[in-house]
Parts: sequence; C-alpha cells; structure tokens
Amino acid sequence: MRPPVSTAERSTARAHAIELRDITKSFGHIQALRGATLQIRAGEVLAVVGDNGAGKSTLMKALSGNVVPTSGEIVIDGASAEIASVADAQRRGIFTVYQDLAQAPDLSALENVFLGREQLLGGIGRRIGLLARGEMRRRAEQALDDLGVTIPSVSRPVRDLSGGQRQAVAIARAVMWATTAVVMDEPTAALGARQTAIVYDTIKATAARGLAVVVVSHDIPNIVSLADRIAIMRHGRVLVTLESEKTNVDEVLRLMLGAEVTQ
Amino acid sequence: MNSVRELAALGDVDPRVAAAAQQTALGRTVRSTTLWVAVALLAIILLFGALSDGVFLRADNISDMAVNSVIAVILAVGATFILGAGLLDLSIGSSLLLCSIVSAKVTTALAGSAEEVAAGVYPNLALGIAGGVAAGIACGALLGAVNGLIVTRLKLNSFIVTLATMGIFNGIALIVTNGVNVPNVPQQLQTDFAGSKLAGIPLPVFLAAIVAAAMWFVLTKTRFGMRTLAIGSSEEAARRANVPVDRHIVSLFVLMGVLAGIAGIVDLARFGTTNLEGHQTDALAAFAATVIGGTSLFGGRASVGGAVLGALIPVVLATGLVILDVVSFYQLVVVGVILILAVWLDQLRRSRFN
Ligand SMILES: Nc1ncnc2c1ncn2[C@@H]1O[C@H](COP(=O)(O)OP(=O)(O)O)[C@@H](O)[C@H]1O
Ligand SMILES: [Mg+2]
Repeated sequence: MRPPVSTAERSTARAHAIELRDITKSFGHIQALRGATLQIRAGEVLAVVGDNGAGKSTLMKALSGNVVPTSGEIVIDGASAEIASVADAQRRGIFTVYQDLAQAPDLSALENVFLGREQLLGGIGRRIGLLARGEMRRRAEQALDDLGVTIPSVSRPVRDLSGGQRQAVAIARAVMWATTAVVMDEPTAALGARQTAIVYDTIKATAARGLAVVVVSHDIPNIVSLADRIAIMRHGRVLVTLESEKTNVDEVLRLMLGAEVTQ
Repeated sequence: MNSVRELAALGDVDPRVAAAAQQTALGRTVRSTTLWVAVALLAIILLFGALSDGVFLRADNISDMAVNSVIAVILAVGATFILGAGLLDLSIGSSLLLCSIVSAKVTTALAGSAEEVAAGVYPNLALGIAGGVAAGIACGALLGAVNGLIVTRLKLNSFIVTLATMGIFNGIALIVTNGVNVPNVPQQLQTDFAGSKLAGIPLPVFLAAIVAAAMWFVLTKTRFGMRTLAIGSSEEAARRANVPVDRHIVSLFVLMGVLAGIAGIVDLARFGTTNLEGHQTDALAAFAATVIGGTSLFGGRASVGGAVLGALIPVVLATGLVILDVVSFYQLVVVGVILILAVWLDQLRRSRFN
C-alpha cells in the first residue's frame, strides 16, 4: 500500500507533455486557426507571440476548454484527450489565468485561491459545509511563498492588493490546482513595469515546479528572455517554435511581422 | 527570487496597501460599520433613557422593544444574504403575508371541525399548530423557489422579478382571503408562544436570536456563506471557479422565503390574526436595515450582526419617541437619514480602492 500523500504533495506537478495537433477553428467565415500545431513540455515557459488576430487567444482557449476546435487533436502524454469544456481541461490539470483576473474583489486572497474548491472540515463539519480556514490559510500562504510572492495578508480583500499582487494571487490559484499546465493570455497587459516583474518571477517559479507555463505576450523583449521557447503565430498557424537561447528579439519581431523562416 | 520577494514586500507595494498591512485589529474594528451602528444605537438608547427618566430602560420596555423587533430582525438577516449576493427581494413582505394566511388556514382546518373552530374550540390544537407551522415554512420555501427560478431560468434582474412577485403574492393573499383577515386563529398561539417567556426572555426573541446566530454562522463559517459573497462580489469569478451559481441563487431565495414564512408565523402568533394591510413596507425596511448594518448595496460584503442592529434602530426610535410623547413619525425621517449616511459611507469605502 502507498503511504498517504499530503494534500500539498498531491498538487505537485508530474511531467506531462501536451501536443496541439493541426487545430483549426472557424467562427462563421473567419478562420481563426488554420492548422496550428504546438508542443508543450513540462517545466518550461513557452511564450506564444504574434500579431493581433494571429490566433493566439483562440489557441489558448482551445487548450483551456473555452473554445472547441473545428478540427484537430489535443494529445496529452501520447493519448488523445478531448477538451470540450473548462471542466474537461481542469480534469486534465490544465488551468487558465484569465486576462481580466476573474477574481472576487471583496473576497480575501485565500478565499479567491480556494473558491469553488473550498476545503472543509471533517465529519459533521463536511456535511454542513464548514470551511477549514486554518488549513486553507496555511496552503494559500505556502503557495504564495513557493512562488516568491509576499502580500500583506491572505485574509484581506484582494481589492486592497496592487495589480501585480492580484495577478500573482490568480497565478497561485492556478498553480495550486494545475498538475499539467498553466495557461496565461497576456497576464501583464494591464500592469506597469514593476508589477510585471512580479508576475514574470511568478511565472518562472511556476515552471520550476514542473508545470508547463504557456504565456501569450506582446512584451517581446522581456518574454524572449523569460521563456524557454517561443512559438510564433501568424494567420492561424504556428509558424515556428524557437529555443530562446538560439534566437533574439529582432528575429522574433521579424518573424512575427512577416519574414520567412530561414533556418 | 529574493529580489522579487523584496520588491513585492517593500518597493512595489501601493502605500494604501502598506497601510492596510500595518492596520491593527483595533484599527480595522474602528473602521467597521457594524461597530458604528452599535455605538449609534447605544447612544440613542442612553439618550432616550436619560430623557425619559429611566422609563425607556425599564425591563418591560426593553422586552417589548425586543418582541417588536423580531419580525424585522428575521427579515433583515435573510436580506443580508440576498444583498450580500448582489440580489434584491422586494417580495418578502408579501411572502410573509401570504404564508401567514396559509399557516392560519391550515391551522384552523386541522384544529377542529368548522363549527368547533368557529366556536373557539380546538380538539386537535397540537396537530393544527404543527400543520400550520409546517405549511407556513413550506409556503415560504415555495415562494422563494418561484423567485429564484424566475431569476435564474429567465435570466431576469431580481429587482424586477421580486417587484412583480411582490404584487403577485399580495394579490393572491387578497384573493384567497377575499380581503378579509383569517378568523378564529387559536389564541393559544398568542398566549403560549408570542406572549410567553423563558428565563424572562420572550420566546419570539429567542427564536430571532437563534435565527440570527445560525445565519451569522452560515455566513462566516461555511462554504455556502463564502460562495454567497463570492457571487455578490463577482458572479463571473464564481462561475469561472465552477461555483453552481444558479443553484446557489435559488437556494438563497428559498432561504429568504423560509425566513419570511417563519416571520409570517410569528406575525400570526403575535397578533392572533393575519394582517392584510401591515406588510407593504417590510421588504424596504429589511433592506434598509441590512444596508445600515454595513452590508454593501452592491454585494460581496455583508454583516448579519449589523443587520440585526439596523433592524433594531426603527423600533427603538419609535418606542422612545412614543414614551417622550413625540409623534413617532419622526422615526421615519431619522431612519431615512441614517440610511443615506450608511450608503454614502459604503460608497466612500469602495471608491477609495477603485
Ligand atoms: N468569438 C469569436 N467570434 C468571431 N471571431 C473571432 C472570435 N474570436 C476570435 N475571432 C477572430 O479570430 C481571429 C483570431 O483572434 P484571436 O485568437 O483573438 O487572435 P490574437 O489573440 O492573436 O489577437 C481574429 O480575426 C478574431 O477577430
Ligand atoms: Mg488575444
């Protein structure tokens, strides 16, 4: 028999590989995706870049269950995985940090982290839905600490936090529940430079935990140095995926804006 | 990683956030609306006590005021959940009335034959009262479910839905009674419940205290309470977190309906009859009490204790003014002013961080 695993250990990522194969998506006459293929590796930060309308958001939505592809296949650890809803994606360990945060501003950081997945006390407490606040607090503090984020208090409303801290709490929520990948669509779009720095460090810490982090960003110079690999999208396809160590900002920008792949 | 930690801890923190972090428990208490309402209520009570040479503070007067507050307290506590979830329920006065009628009719139907009941004889009194209580509560649950299902299934605003059902329930109440209060309600309801005391405390006051304590517990300690405030704070966030929002909203309206049903039974027991004309402003009074007590008009933040205090204020004012021989209508003016102050404070607090 296996020894009992603590809840903290249970949420630790195992190495999962995801492949989006030849994904297409049409909205009426508009072809948002025209056969996009993307490999995602555990423990890496994969940046997805491209011009407006290239299909980045739609591809992320296919991964997070917010959009059902017209055709194509999602493969997780070699097996075809149907992701038809957000719940499907979450069951596969894929969690999304939404651009507009999707937080309840009056609730505390710890309540936001656990919303929808509240921990209850045992016995009769479980039946009447008694919250295990002490345990939730401990885990929320631990999760933020693991990501290197310090906030004044996990019990204060997130309304009182700065933009970067709120984003960090949102990421902590995703990291807490994700076992495969965390998906972020422009997580720093609304943030200033210092707030962005917090989020980038949080992203690195997330990948260091063994999760795949897929980040859509327009912040090319910073994302090139942050990411392990950079997927460049154009006209609904992934043009090329580059190792960040073997490329540079100029090349990424050129490819984004229409240059041909030379390698 | 260390650099980030320091960045987040020191340099990058909004000064207001840093202030919040340093805020002591005392500081937070001083900012709490509930505390200020308590202080205001205490001041009013002491003022009336002084002006009335202590008459106001006599035990029988306190006890009377407590009994007079019971219905308002029960409704305000329910309204705290509804408003906390960013909803409104204007139908609670009509629900209360309709449920008191249903309860009265079931009680008199079960307690004896028509002739016996008309003569004030109730051979099956216990059965009648048990049936009446069950019917009153079931009626509340049903009316609440109607509200909740219309709001969630038709995706309509709760203000409009309950404005409509307020009229509908009131209309049904008048239709089933032909506009005449239900006669021959057993007096034992008055003597053995509404008028009797345990350890010097009137039974209805016990009931209100138990309801308030239970609801405080649910709001602050349970998943149900947390999700209620989550929905009020951001329905979208709750949905994305897989909270069954629609089901939760139906539950909230059912809960509110059950409390209105209980209040209807208390009303019946206190006055020994239904009160067709007496509940038109109950809903507004309940939501006013809730807002005065610190529950945000926009949802997301709620206080059961504050709502109880808010419900006591009109009763205390009215009683005190009567004792001082001042026309008690001034109470309406004062409560209105307090309500505006409470909403203004809530708005100030919101705008500070947005
Ligand atoms: N729900 C939708 N309905 C119709 N068209 C859409 C929808 N979502 C995206 N599109 C279109 O699909 C294309 C790709 O959009 P998107 O994936 O958002 O690109 P990106 O995130 O790279 O800017 C665009 O032309 C956009 O207008
Ligand atoms: Mg986009």
